[in-house]
Amino acid sequence: MNKSQWRTAAMFLMPYGVVFGIFVLLPVLYGFYISLHKWHILAPKPEFIGLRNYKLVLSDDLFRIAFARTAFYVAMVVPLGNALSLLLAVGLNQNYRGTTFYKVAFYLPVVMSVSVIAILWRWLYSAEFGIINHYLSQIASLGHQIAPAISPAALKPQWLNSPATAMPAIALMSIWWGAGGNMLIYFAGLKNVPRELLEAAEIDGAGPWRRFWTVSWPLLRPTTLFCLVMSVIASFQVFGQTYILTGGGPYYSTLTIILYMYQQGFGLYQLGYAAAVGYLLFGTLLICTLIQFKLLAVKQ
Amino acid sequence: MNRRGVLILFAAALAFTLCGCAQKKISRANSVIQLEFWNGFSGPDGTTMERIVREFNAKHPNIRVRMQIIPWGTYYDKATLGLAFGGAPDVFVVHADRLPEYADRLVLYDMGELIETGGLDESDFMPRPWNAGAWNGKHYAIPLDCHPIGLYYNTELFKKVGIVDEAGRAKPPTNLEEFLDAAHKLTIDTNGDGRPDQWGYVFTWFRTNYYTYLSQFGGDLLTSDGRESALNSDAAKRSLNLMREIIYQRHVAPGPEGQDAWIGFLTGKVGMALEGIYMLSSLEGQKNLKFAGAPCPVFGDKPGAWANSHMLVMPAKIDPAKRDAAWLFIKYLSDNSLAWAKGGQVPVRKSILNSSEFSSLSVQYEFSKQLPYINYMPSSISLNQALPFFDAAVEAVLCNMKSADDALSEADRRIDEVMNRQ
Amino acid sequence: MKKGKRRQAHIQTKHVIAQIAMLVVALILLAPILWMFSTSLKPNDQILTAAPNWMPHPISFEHFHKLFTQAEDFPVARWLFNSAFISTTVTLLALAFTSMAAYAFSRLHFKGRDVLFMAVIATMMIPSQITLIPSFLIVQKLGWFNSYQGLIVPGLAGAFGVFLLRQFFLGIPVELEEAAFMDGAGPAVIYWRVVLPLAKPALAALAIFTFIGAWNDFVWPLIITNDISMRTLPVGIMIFQGRYVTEYGATMATAAVCSVPTIIAFLIFQKRITEGIAMTGIKG
Repeated sequence: MNKSQWRTAAMFLMPYGVVFGIFVLLPVLYGFYISLHKWHILAPKPEFIGLRNYKLVLSDDLFRIAFARTAFYVAMVVPLGNALSLLLAVGLNQNYRGTTFYKVAFYLPVVMSVSVIAILWRWLYSAEFGIINHYLSQIASLGHQIAPAISPAALKPQWLNSPATAMPAIALMSIWWGAGGNMLIYFAGLKNVPRELLEAAEIDGAGPWRRFWTVSWPLLRPTTLFCLVMSVIASFQVFGQTYILTGGGPYYSTLTIILYMYQQGFGLYQLGYAAAVGYLLFGTLLICTLIQFKLLAVKQ
Repeated sequence: MNRRGVLILFAAALAFTLCGCAQKKISRANSVIQLEFWNGFSGPDGTTMERIVREFNAKHPNIRVRMQIIPWGTYYDKATLGLAFGGAPDVFVVHADRLPEYADRLVLYDMGELIETGGLDESDFMPRPWNAGAWNGKHYAIPLDCHPIGLYYNTELFKKVGIVDEAGRAKPPTNLEEFLDAAHKLTIDTNGDGRPDQWGYVFTWFRTNYYTYLSQFGGDLLTSDGRESALNSDAAKRSLNLMREIIYQRHVAPGPEGQDAWIGFLTGKVGMALEGIYMLSSLEGQKNLKFAGAPCPVFGDKPGAWANSHMLVMPAKIDPAKRDAAWLFIKYLSDNSLAWAKGGQVPVRKSILNSSEFSSLSVQYEFSKQLPYINYMPSSISLNQALPFFDAAVEAVLCNMKSADDALSEADRRIDEVMNRQ
Repeated sequence: MKKGKRRQAHIQTKHVIAQIAMLVVALILLAPILWMFSTSLKPNDQILTAAPNWMPHPISFEHFHKLFTQAEDFPVARWLFNSAFISTTVTLLALAFTSMAAYAFSRLHFKGRDVLFMAVIATMMIPSQITLIPSFLIVQKLGWFNSYQGLIVPGLAGAFGVFLLRQFFLGIPVELEEAAFMDGAGPAVIYWRVVLPLAKPALAALAIFTFIGAWNDFVWPLIITNDISMRTLPVGIMIFQGRYVTEYGATMATAAVCSVPTIIAFLIFQKRITEGIAMTGIKG
């Protein structure tokens, strides 16, 4: 161990390290400390109760509901979102004319804030006046002309107002919002696939479909792992969409873990309980991430 | 950008940051008393309040009130953080149903002495809203207004189907029978696609609608001591079943529609809705809509209507130098609550309620007739914890997912659980 | 020969179909944003029509006009300055801090390096809502409440930038640095003269991510400022987004005003972003 390099490293790490220590590490530790206490935000001081908050959370059936609803959301958003991102990246990688336009079109939703996309999609999802249901009803009346058995009013989902469709609607919106981000990363991964390998496969008579699955896909594995890990982390932490659009309803159908935590912490000011919810989610994500690494990581 | 450019920008950024804090300290030095006033009036009511504050500032050159609007959605988070850790405003608005939480934690200023000596006549206030400012025998707040729910009805649609009095004016229903009859006549499938596109009635905000039904059947959300759920009651079941019946058996109201429900009324596709008086301004902005207001029909055993109030409060730790100015401002707002009422509120001062100027505000006047029997949500430090479960029970039933019995006993159990966790 | 031609034609058709499909997908993805702008430019009586009208006719700026005049006492220009200043400063400082840290994590050898790095990465899995109140208390202890420092400094601590740049630096061939080392350059010079210039694309990508994130942040600026003159544009503008507002024209105008700056920032940086990510060579 070279002493001078240690010193250099300390110098390089210092600016970020100080900020990280004060505004990430310290709050994280303090948050854990709070989770061991019973604390109403307006109470003069927290009361130590050990692990009781964790026990309470684990026996709270609403937490279990929130966990299940979040898992449902993750199960929709992660596979479908990544599939869409990959598809867009493959399209972009064809180098068709207008690549810049496509890049902008695919990525533009990502630059908007969650409050903006939420109020925008509330307008799109409006069952009576929204544009989505308008085009669906046109499809239905087209169907009615072909097969009169189909009611022209058949395709009129209530989207955010119905427990059955609310979570899928939020997932659809989130996929639209986030697809561009992962697309860029998949695109970068595809760019790094050596051209010689693809050409060699073409000479061997492999069509585009086979070339993709036998050459590009295996090489994309690290990229896929990165995208999956990041999107699992991000979608387990879904909050803004449900907070603004549904507040967890109707009937808990869109109650997500962070929203539940937020309601406990800010709505009810049970800070210790809320922190315990957050740390249980952290534990879950840590395990999820380790599993993904085990399953997908390639030995280099 | 080259590296020198980056460096210059860094330097500029740092300089700006330092200027930003230096600048703050200078503005402190003058003798005018600055009052911070917070509220959540993010709609047209904010414009009304802004005007009143400007008038106050003009009349009181030694006081300057600076008003800040923070949307209700984040308002309480911000106010609570301020009260807990510093940075609270000098005067702010709290809803009557949120008051006990703060009063019980002793973070609000006890106004008892000011009320006695400060020239505000208690007997001029309607008793219900006045008492909403009390907690544990102390008085922490002055009610600015009362905003009850009431019946809005589309007079044009009423006339079209012939629900009129002898003079040919649209006649609002006063009891369940008349209500169902009107709703039935107003529900029409105009384009013949098999489902109505004009509805007699629509459920807008479930919470206020259900609380109105519930109160009229004699039920409540919490027991009278505010410590337990009271939802496992006969009244709760009967009233919730009635709401379900209106949608699924009578077919005179659509299922849950969220925001569209109110837009339906705004655009003349709905005959009746029960909404707060604060929605008035959004109706007045609608050019082609002919509407009127009336007290809620009696669906149950007695008249009743959900209501809430905006209460004016000061933090317990208010700067003594500012206290009298803050009190002067609170009094001014109360004395001038007619201007506030015009924007879509019911005043709570008897002298204003009895004035001819107020009775000329037809919708406000109609809604104010409910003042003798309005229903505030229970005064309890735990109300806020119970409300999510209350809402969920109504959602489950109106979305046709659960029976009223199941939904209510579930809500009942959850409310008791979360209250015991305290 | 003939067979080859037919195959050529076959491939051509396939490409045409693929291009049409891409265009359709792009339009579907763009549609919500176009609809937002279209609605914001319509007078109220054109909004709730039976058939959607993509082109407002006539174009009306009434919602934008109302948005900026309704608030006569409201310093919209100041909010715009605050947002631009804060986002720019956060971006520049975050690039400096995270690139230095990433350099240490990727190029320097010291004890506990990997453990430290994993700890930094793991904090990404902790929901930011947990740290909200502790961070608030810390900022208040530091006396930074209601100040630009309070708005800027906590935004510099994100771990994503360190992760991204470290991956990128690992992909830069060590030989370049060794040459500089032979010429007698120390780590600081190598970082500044060799690594940073090579990392320009990655820095551009991180710049846009950071800028968008800082611009769009809502909760932190709201709770950490009290003065109306310290608000950021999204926080200030969102005040008009009342709970009972059902006027879609006004709402969409608000949304449009909030997103135009980030859209412009993206259009400026978009060319560099793809270069940046394409060169990170992210490895699992």
